[in-house]
Amino acid sequence: MSASMSGNTASSSSSKKSLKAFSDDIWKNKTAKINAELFTLTYGSIVSQLCTDYERDFAKVNKQLYSMGYNIGVRLIEDFLARTALPRCDSLAKTSEVISKCAFKIFLNVTPQIGNWSSNKDSFSIFLDENPLSEFVELPMDAARELWYSNILCGVLKGALEMVQMDCDVYFASDVLKGDQTTELRVKLNKILKDEIPAGED
Amino acid sequence: MDASQRPEMTEHQKQQLQFQLFQDSLPKVNEIVYRMLLNEAIPMAVNVQDRLSEESGGHEDNETEQGLEQDLDAKLTFDPLKDHVPSHKLLQKYLTADEEYQNKVDERLNNIGFLLGQKLSQLLIFSNNPSLNFRDMDLLAVMKFVCRDVWRQLFGKQIDNLKTNHRGTFYLLDNNYKPVESFALDEDMSQEEQTLIEPYLEIPCGVIRGVLDSLGFQEKGQVICTASITSDRESQKTGSSASSRAVLFNVQINPDR
Repeated sequence: MSASMSGNTASSSSSKKSLKAFSDDIWKNKTAKINAELFTLTYGSIVSQLCTDYERDFAKVNKQLYSMGYNIGVRLIEDFLARTALPRCDSLAKTSEVISKCAFKIFLNVTPQIGNWSSNKDSFSIFLDENPLSEFVELPMDAARELWYSNILCGVLKGALEMVQMDCDVYFASDVLKGDQTTELRVKLNKILKDEIPAGED
Repeated sequence: MDASQRPEMTEHQKQQLQFQLFQDSLPKVNEIVYRMLLNEAIPMAVNVQDRLSEESGGHEDNETEQGLEQDLDAKLTFDPLKDHVPSHKLLQKYLTADEEYQNKVDERLNNIGFLLGQKLSQLLIFSNNPSLNFRDMDLLAVMKFVCRDVWRQLFGKQIDNLKTNHRGTFYLLDNNYKPVESFALDEDMSQEEQTLIEPYLEIPCGVIRGVLDSLGFQEKGQVICTASITSDRESQKTGSSASSRAVLFNVQINPDR
């Protein structure tokens, strides 16, 4: 814990390096792991059942996956904070770095690229070169048009960020499963939620 | 030292060591993410049931102008969390719902497990595990495969106890059922807790069905799998330590014709 604190208060260049080393260490030494293929298959079964239930109304499936992800995200952030003991991020750039280098690494063992910053620095994209959810997945024609297969990720990010007082919009901008070049996850910050002070106290 | 040990290792052991190394080299994800995904499937199934019964519940006159307006509204605004329900509320809903509703939710979960089990057996068989030989496999060997390999893949441990009457009935006892490991349960559970745990047992039931389906037990109703949290009395009878997290899977397989 102390190592992480000192790493993050150090100069930005060294903190970048240490954040990666720091999360590598957590992944390697402090994480119980399971087969990624099992994870992929389980998620596939859930999506497939949802498509059957909603009679291939993929807008509803998207929504359900998002909602499910949100419920996971609000819990997962607890585990993330307990595991990393990272302090609050002072900028969205810092947040994006923690998401890609730390959160994705620790939970899914991938390190997506961050890019495509908007000019006023309030939104960015996460480029998922490898996505453990959609490994060996191929969408049928009708699903490829509407279904955001990994939409659960948006929900998770939304829920987790909300718990650290960041109100964000998270959505997929493109997906290789739909024939796009990249899988791009867009995060847009709406506002930082305020710390509430109990009424009657100063 | 290595050289002196090597000759003692049989060909089979060598293969198994190799298999283990291969397994360890496969891509991995965090176990917590998997557990959360699996457990979140329960409230999700409740939510789906809710939405479906809402839809069938007399919304026929939705093609009015108001309906269209709402439809347009929904398309213009970005709010995927509209009418979002947190998972604890969904579980509460399950608890207070009638039996038919609960059964439908259970069936949905069971089916997710079934789909998973079908693919899982392929994953396990084609990974070339040397201790598997399906050429002359009898029912018992198939069940052993479920207890050993399937369970280890899913929960990182084997089934603790397998019993059979050699006529197609199997009892699989898991003394510490992983998905409910973190639940705060007392030795004597209330009726409510019992009801709430039941959906958490459905997915592995489906997995067992799915695995057996992909191994040739495909006729409808051929495999019946139920699960229950064992009462203290039963687990004492089997000689294991009494634990509120012990789950007994009861698998009934009817022979072909």
